Amino acid sequence: MKRTFLAALLIAVPLLAMGGTRRAATRPPQAPRDTTIENNASCDISTSPAATLLLPYFEVDITKHVSQARNTIFSVINTSRSPQVARVTVWSDQAYPVLWFNLFLTGYDVESISLYDVLARGAVPETSSQTARGLKSSENSANPRILSLESCESGGGPLAASALAMVQSILTTGVGASSGCRVGSVHDAATGFVTVDVVNGCSTISPDDMSYYSQVLLFDNVLTGDFERINPDVETGNLAGGNPLVHLKAVPEGGGPTNNTALPYTFYDRFTPPGARKIDRRQPLPSSFAARFIQGGRGKFFTDYVLWREAASTGASCVSSNAAMPFEPAVRFDESENPATLAAGEFVSSPVTSAVSTTSRLFPPIIGPGVTGWMVMNLDNSAGYQATASPFSTRRPSQNWVMVRLSADGRYAVDYDATSLTNGCTNNNASVTSIIKMGKDK
Amino acid sequence: MRRALAIFAVLTTLSMSGAPSTRVVTANNASCDIGIYPAATLLLPYFEVDTTQTVPSTAMNTVFTVVNTSQLPQIARVTLWTDFGFPALSFPMFLTGYGMQSISMYELVARGNLPVTYSGATPGTASAANDSNPNFLEDNHCDRSGGTLVKERRERLQRALIEGERDTGCRIGRQHAIATGYVTVDVVNSCADVDPLDPSYWTDTLLFDNVLTGDYERINPNVTTGNYAGGSPLVHIRAVPEGGPAGVVGQVPFPYTFYDRYLPAEARKMDRRQPLPSVFAARFIEGGSTGFKTNLMIWREGATGATRDECLYAKNEKLPVRTIVRFDEHENATMASSGIVLPPSSANSSVATAFPLLTAGDVGGWFWISLDNGARARASQNWITVQMYAEGRYAVDFDATWLANGCSVPPASP
Repeated sequence: MKRTFLAALLIAVPLLAMGGTRRAATRPPQAPRDTTIENNASCDISTSPAATLLLPYFEVDITKHVSQARNTIFSVINTSRSPQVARVTVWSDQAYPVLWFNLFLTGYDVESISLYDVLARGAVPETSSQTARGLKSSENSANPRILSLESCESGGGPLAASALAMVQSILTTGVGASSGCRVGSVHDAATGFVTVDVVNGCSTISPDDMSYYSQVLLFDNVLTGDFERINPDVETGNLAGGNPLVHLKAVPEGGGPTNNTALPYTFYDRFTPPGARKIDRRQPLPSSFAARFIQGGRGKFFTDYVLWREAASTGASCVSSNAAMPFEPAVRFDESENPATLAAGEFVSSPVTSAVSTTSRLFPPIIGPGVTGWMVMNLDNSAGYQATASPFSTRRPSQNWVMVRLSADGRYAVDYDATSLTNGCTNNNASVTSIIKMGKDK
Repeated sequence: MRRALAIFAVLTTLSMSGAPSTRVVTANNASCDIGIYPAATLLLPYFEVDTTQTVPSTAMNTVFTVVNTSQLPQIARVTLWTDFGFPALSFPMFLTGYGMQSISMYELVARGNLPVTYSGATPGTASAANDSNPNFLEDNHCDRSGGTLVKERRERLQRALIEGERDTGCRIGRQHAIATGYVTVDVVNSCADVDPLDPSYWTDTLLFDNVLTGDYERINPNVTTGNYAGGSPLVHIRAVPEGGPAGVVGQVPFPYTFYDRYLPAEARKMDRRQPLPSVFAARFIEGGSTGFKTNLMIWREGATGATRDECLYAKNEKLPVRTIVRFDEHENATMASSGIVLPPSSANSSVATAFPLLTAGDVGGWFWISLDNGARARASQNWITVQMYAEGRYAVDFDATWLANGCSVPPASP
């Protein structure tokens, strides 16, 4: 009884329980707010089973022997007992869908995909709905949302030589799309990003076709995955990094297509049909991030940021507007919290996906003697505020993802996701230059 | 036009089979999902540091970094726990607005060098004044924190983390070749010498501002046993609802919280921290052409509550594991569900006897793991980081996938 009374005092009159004197201007506790404890019911991105997986960036040396080639390997796991079909799409760095194929995954299946095998050798993973299932897996016909097992009987296999040549050309030169437009940047290695969606069959419909989102996409949060980035070259790498794929949940989960979601907009917003702009129900990604860097020092550490950015084009046929999308320069804090930024009003740019050294002119220089610190970035491409022809369904910041890649000494490498400062549903991201302004107003 | 009609027809047809209605919340700091967002507590689930090496360049080491993402100054309380969950060392760090602090566990454990921070440090030009955080105590004792531990304290710390015992002869950790344990970092209101075993830590000291972020790097410079590094974000545990002064519980939506077992019985959700999950999916590779191997670094909630009696921590040594199912590349399942025990913090090879065997000749697959220790009416809290390595030069660390958040009923085993 006495303890209960004490607890009541602690809760109701917290100041009485203080061991010291609190400052007079104590901020009052925030009022209870709308919260959820359910799964698949928030806008927060987390490493939990999802309906779409995003590999934000890959690079593959398609001209080198596999033992010398930079490669990216990613794995997709079906965490459910039911079979699933996963649609894998390989996009150029300007968000042109270069290649897509389906994976039939038996219940609890795992499929690892070497992008070297796909992009250098044209070997697309072979899966079949007739594959023997594991003892704990449901029958391959047990997922009522898969429309046709027949279409999944023989997926994958070798790409035709002409198709492989086109894929390689687009991912290294940006040239080769059927539209005749340039759809990618020039690279010394095949470069782009990958999405993996839960779908209802092994159709060949293009991800550039809006009916893919309204008729093919499913909403079961059952996929998980990770990637490994390997650089065996002893001169330029001799190291590996890796991370979970970005897990985008369908909210709410399950069922068939409906536009009914509390999300203000969705990951595939740009591609969805008129009148049903949230039909994919995928969580949107944020725009502002905190990312650490090390640049030099005794360990000679270096840092690259992988920047994945939502495209600014309205579709995926001619994507030149995605080649150099602007963003507000970052604020760089050194070890003594000295903030640095580029000249006021200056905007820098990058394509949909890129890996950029923190020594790049995209970022403000280090102004003190320190070699480490962190940056605040708002990668909004501003396309959502265009008066006409906005690619987005609402007036909003664009979606983005940032990964940090630290490397040193020809043997150490660490990849990890940067910290999202808010989730993708909240549009109240402060301009990063306002941080500097706040300091000046102090 | 024809396509638009077709889409409309499909939408109309399928609307009856639409998604189940779920109440969805889109606000920040309003869910039980663990993600990489600024948080009020950071967890480094496992560290190893070789204190026998005389220089850090040859020592296995773990370095972690804490960033204050807010303009206001913050105080972070760092606690080193043994692998049995005993707090072996606790110290504060004063972080100016937008301040950052990197901590080498070698410096800390081998040399006894705690990071030195001052509330009198000059803040950056964009940072708020060092006395501007309204939740700080007036007399917060942050004039100077850190410094070098005296030899006796350093050796006592090393005994706790390496030998697993200090003064009493009771076990507070396993015996290891190198120092091992885990770390928590909490946002607090003062640098006063109060640690998580003191009830006033929860009632008077802990704050609720989701402002900290951080990451770790695990470095093994030994060319024979390692020659690589791995790293990942720290586990970001948010306070919900966020903000306010110490000592106020607020209306916490969670069924229980991260620090549940340390809290006063009458205020069991006083920390407001998100609870961690119990069931995970974790991939493995064992051999093959690349010779990859896999360790699972596992953090588990202990069974011992807030006690300074060192003799009560031995019961954390063998916490039961509910179920482990191993799926190979052909979904052949092998299962282990009895007799598996693991302590609160450990690194485990995927070929260890705790895990069911790989039987059909494959070299890869994944684990379905329920780590519930069965000590409570609810599922216990856990975290898994996957560590893959090969060829004396490749290593990758990444968080395993949690299959349901810490607030929900764990999924049934396959």
